[in-house]
Amino acid sequence: MSVDFESLSGDLHRLKDLALAEIAKAADPAALDQLQIQYLGKKGDLTAVLRGIGALPAEDRPRVGAVANEIGEAVKTALSERGLELRSVVQAQRLAAESVDVTLPGRTVPRGTLHPIPETIAAIAEVFGQFGFVVYEGPEVEDDLTNFQMLNIAPDHPARDLWDTLYVDIPGHLLRTHTSPGQIRVMQSTKPPIRALLPGRCFRYEAVDASHGFEFFQVEGLMVDEGTSMADLKGLLDEFAHALFGPRKTRFRPGYYPFTEPSVAFDVECVVCGGVGCPACSKTGWMTILGAGMVHPVVLQYGGIDPERYQGFAFGMGVERISNLRHAVPDLRYYLENDLRFLEQFR
Amino acid sequence: MRVPLSWLREYVDVQMSPEQLAERLTLLGMEVKGVEQWGADWRSVVVGELLTVEKHPHADRLHLTTVNVGSGEPLHIVCGANNIAPGQRVPVALPGAVLPGDRRIERTEKMGIASEGMLCSGDELHITSDAEGILILPPSTQLGIELSDLYGDVVLDVDVKPNRGDVLCLVGLAREVSAATGAPVRWPEIAVEETGGPVADRLRVEVREPELCTRFVGRWISGVKIAPSPDWIQMRLQAAGMRPVSNVVDASNFVMLELGKPTHTFNGAAVREGTIIVRRALPGERLETLDHVDRELTPDTLIIADPSGPIGIAGVMGGAESEITDATTEIAIESAVFDPVSIRRTGHRYALRSEASLRFEKGQEFRLARIGADRVAQLTLAWAGGSASKGRVDTAPTEPASARLAFRPARVSRLLGAEISGEEQRALLLRVGVETESAPSGTRIQVAVEPKPLVVNPGSEEILIAVVPTWRRDMAIEADVAEEVARVRGYETTPAHLPDTLMPAYRPSPLRVRDLIRETLAGAGLSEVVTHALVAAPDEAKLQWPDDATAPALPGGLAAQSGEEIAVTNPLSAQHSVLRRHLAASLLDVLSLNERQGRPDVAIFEIGKHYARIDGKPREWTRLAFLLTGAAEPAAWNRVARSYDLDDAKGIVELLCRRLGLAEPSYVPDARGFPFHPGRALVARQESENEAVAGRLAELHPEALAAWDLRAQRVIVAELAVAGLDAATPLRVHVEPIPRFPEVERDLAVIVAESRTAAEVEATIRSHGGRLLRHVRLFDRYRGMPLAATEKSLAYRLVLGSKDRTLTEGEADAAMEAVRKGLETDLGAHIRS
Repeated sequence: MSVDFESLSGDLHRLKDLALAEIAKAADPAALDQLQIQYLGKKGDLTAVLRGIGALPAEDRPRVGAVANEIGEAVKTALSERGLELRSVVQAQRLAAESVDVTLPGRTVPRGTLHPIPETIAAIAEVFGQFGFVVYEGPEVEDDLTNFQMLNIAPDHPARDLWDTLYVDIPGHLLRTHTSPGQIRVMQSTKPPIRALLPGRCFRYEAVDASHGFEFFQVEGLMVDEGTSMADLKGLLDEFAHALFGPRKTRFRPGYYPFTEPSVAFDVECVVCGGVGCPACSKTGWMTILGAGMVHPVVLQYGGIDPERYQGFAFGMGVERISNLRHAVPDLRYYLENDLRFLEQFR
Repeated sequence: MRVPLSWLREYVDVQMSPEQLAERLTLLGMEVKGVEQWGADWRSVVVGELLTVEKHPHADRLHLTTVNVGSGEPLHIVCGANNIAPGQRVPVALPGAVLPGDRRIERTEKMGIASEGMLCSGDELHITSDAEGILILPPSTQLGIELSDLYGDVVLDVDVKPNRGDVLCLVGLAREVSAATGAPVRWPEIAVEETGGPVADRLRVEVREPELCTRFVGRWISGVKIAPSPDWIQMRLQAAGMRPVSNVVDASNFVMLELGKPTHTFNGAAVREGTIIVRRALPGERLETLDHVDRELTPDTLIIADPSGPIGIAGVMGGAESEITDATTEIAIESAVFDPVSIRRTGHRYALRSEASLRFEKGQEFRLARIGADRVAQLTLAWAGGSASKGRVDTAPTEPASARLAFRPARVSRLLGAEISGEEQRALLLRVGVETESAPSGTRIQVAVEPKPLVVNPGSEEILIAVVPTWRRDMAIEADVAEEVARVRGYETTPAHLPDTLMPAYRPSPLRVRDLIRETLAGAGLSEVVTHALVAAPDEAKLQWPDDATAPALPGGLAAQSGEEIAVTNPLSAQHSVLRRHLAASLLDVLSLNERQGRPDVAIFEIGKHYARIDGKPREWTRLAFLLTGAAEPAAWNRVARSYDLDDAKGIVELLCRRLGLAEPSYVPDARGFPFHPGRALVARQESENEAVAGRLAELHPEALAAWDLRAQRVIVAELAVAGLDAATPLRVHVEPIPRFPEVERDLAVIVAESRTAAEVEATIRSHGGRLLRHVRLFDRYRGMPLAATEKSLAYRLVLGSKDRTLTEGEADAAMEAVRKGLETDLGAHIRS
């Protein structure tokens, strides 16, 4: 048979046109794979045409080879381009089918809540911790001496009326009426410089209503050193008030506790009305947040500390009171009742 | 203490508004709790003049009156009182008026005749105690004006602190006003016109307990006429919160409010032989007190007696027999000083606390006994007439001089953190009546009185002597002087600065581990609760939570296993009468409350204390408890609900162990039954050198749920001892080097008898796995064909590896073979291949 360069070259070009047309018509990646095998495979059409190359004169062979390469490349390129085209269509179809209503709510990650009493204690401890106050804890079933006498509240002291007491069936013991006995325990266990914070549960013989309970929480503070003064107390309490209630005016006014002398009450500008006067602050513009004073020499002596060399201050606050003011809690009973409708608001 | 401002002004000038005064007093330490407009509850009550008074045609006891109220036509008012006559000025409540007690007055008809308002008695207005007659006003009273403009007053509610008994009276508060404003105090002029014979002829006093009655001053008045006090006196007493009784009794009450001196007036005729004896009660003695309660007197009660028996409980309450009555003509006045502690105990014993005993409890100025007796006599003569015997009976006429208290102005400055010169301190002290002198050299300072007196010799510092007024029984040490200086100067002048002294040594916070656990559990979906430590004794017994919950060796301390319940001896209610020994019942109470609010899904935890008595001593431990019930994951649009079960509880304990740096806990079944599900209860435990977790986890027995009236079918409760809850332990991770050589994973399906626990199988695998076995994890459990009904298959993934080389197949095979053999011999297991 007569084979010449022109006829072979013509066959190759027809093959190319045919291949490109079929590639353009291919409907899916599988069809393209088929075409690749059909044209470029070992037994494919292009290979079959090139078998005729041996019949060509030697000088024509490189020319046909060049044409064949060029056509093979063109088919490959067409295959890959069409492949990309087809994949992006398929992908677009899949993605379109997968679309969701992104406005639906998410899958809830379970998360509990933390009770405002320990949270408030933590907030108080955080502030005083920055000023070097370390946390101690005393027993809730306390002995009478430490709860009262060592705090300068002798038996039959008229001020005992301030602490209506629950007694237990262990002689000489009671449920502590305040965290103040912790002052004695800290002083007896460590030496100045002392900066101590004592949070904990307290008990009183008190009927329950919106602002009273027989179980409640306090945080006591104690600082004792050679020159610790009322000015230190005032500076620290100002920082504390600002940290918990924002920038507000504060004031000291004289108060009375048997275990401090002088004694003060610490007021902040009413958190409800900002000091203008409202029912929440009895129209005074002020809210008392804690009691404080310079540790009484009697207390220092019971703590084993020389009241001539050392002086110090103590303060005590009701945790529920602080929490009430921060969170606008209307009723003290909420805290120990544990209605989830209350607790879950602290999310 | 209620302080009518108009009354206070008798003793000191007040040149400021009541609100300003309240503020100044508060900043001086006399906290004003409220400023009340007394008479604010009289609305539309005006002064009228009676024009005519006639009999009511249909009712004998009623009168028809016409009243001029200053403007408009005279009003026609029907009135039932008998003390009215034309020309009198009286309070008229107009239609629309509101009287105390929210009593509203309207136009009405009485026995067929219209009444256009009401004439008021002193009692109806809460001005006097007279409920019989209409309050007759002075003839000069201006017609038509509102009664509140006339008799209204401002009443300050002052919170006097327990150490300032001297301020529980108008003169005392006037002194504080004086300290604030500088206005001088005006003492009442006290003088008794004595027109009778010597008092010794009428009254003898014998004090047999001079320790308990340090002074007794008596006076005698003959020929008094008992009647109501003058209206203006009654009004003052009413405004101050004290009910008027009669002129003689009111005189005594008036002096108590004015001077702070409680006194008592006896019907002289009832004091047999004119002899008063102050003594302790004898066994079996009884007394009917003024409140008409017949009381048996205990022998330690200090009483006032006459030769035939008790006539009063000293300082607390008089006897009914010697009470002042309308027929009384002779009176004996008692003005005594009693031991505060004795009075306080007596008041508690008889549950009798009076205004008088309250003042006695706080201690009395010695000289007030004399002044009070004179003042009562003076007012009685003025209001009830009669004739006072000459002189007083006085068992201790020598009055002590003022106490002298040495102090160092420099120490006062050091305490306050403010430089205040000696000169300024002297001036400030003078404003509260404390005079000062320079101290002679060698003067020593009383730093403390109790528990051991501490007197120091201060060296070269300036020393002053404060001359303490006799009424200031609260000033005894140097720090008391500092308080007076500070409060009179005003705390707004105290500087504020942060401490710049030495810091204390580091101490780990006991809150740290607790906060870590709290955050972890909240992150796991549990909400924190804080419940009562005081619970009902029956609840404790009802649940029967086992006492041996935790082993004694835990760093957290002993469990309450051998302890007894601590009970409150004076509980407020049976609901809160013992200290809890476990937290579980408290959590069930919380569940119960929330179930009632329609909340069946509850996951809560508490870190709280439980308590017990061991060897007669109280002990307390901090524990962690949690409760799970209802949906762990509530149904949502993208998920079906899943209920909590015991596995969730174990998962939480495992999470906790991981968080505390502990290995997986071990589980031991507990088949005791009630209060637990007999097949779903266990003890979990894991410990290392510093940390430990141990406790019980259980699904509760249905009977336990029934005992709490719970609707929930399945409730899982856990109570755990966690080391670090009571005392913080630092948490530290010890890092294992990352394996440098690849590890080999092999799966093993172990077929064992149903009765074998997973814990046994895992322990067996570990014990035979050798040094190459790194991890063991259960990934499947299978029951059913082709296994026998008494068998189960547990599938484990084992990870094997070595620190220093890549394992060969042979090494791994050998290890697995050892495990296989171990399982077969130890547990009778066989391996499914």
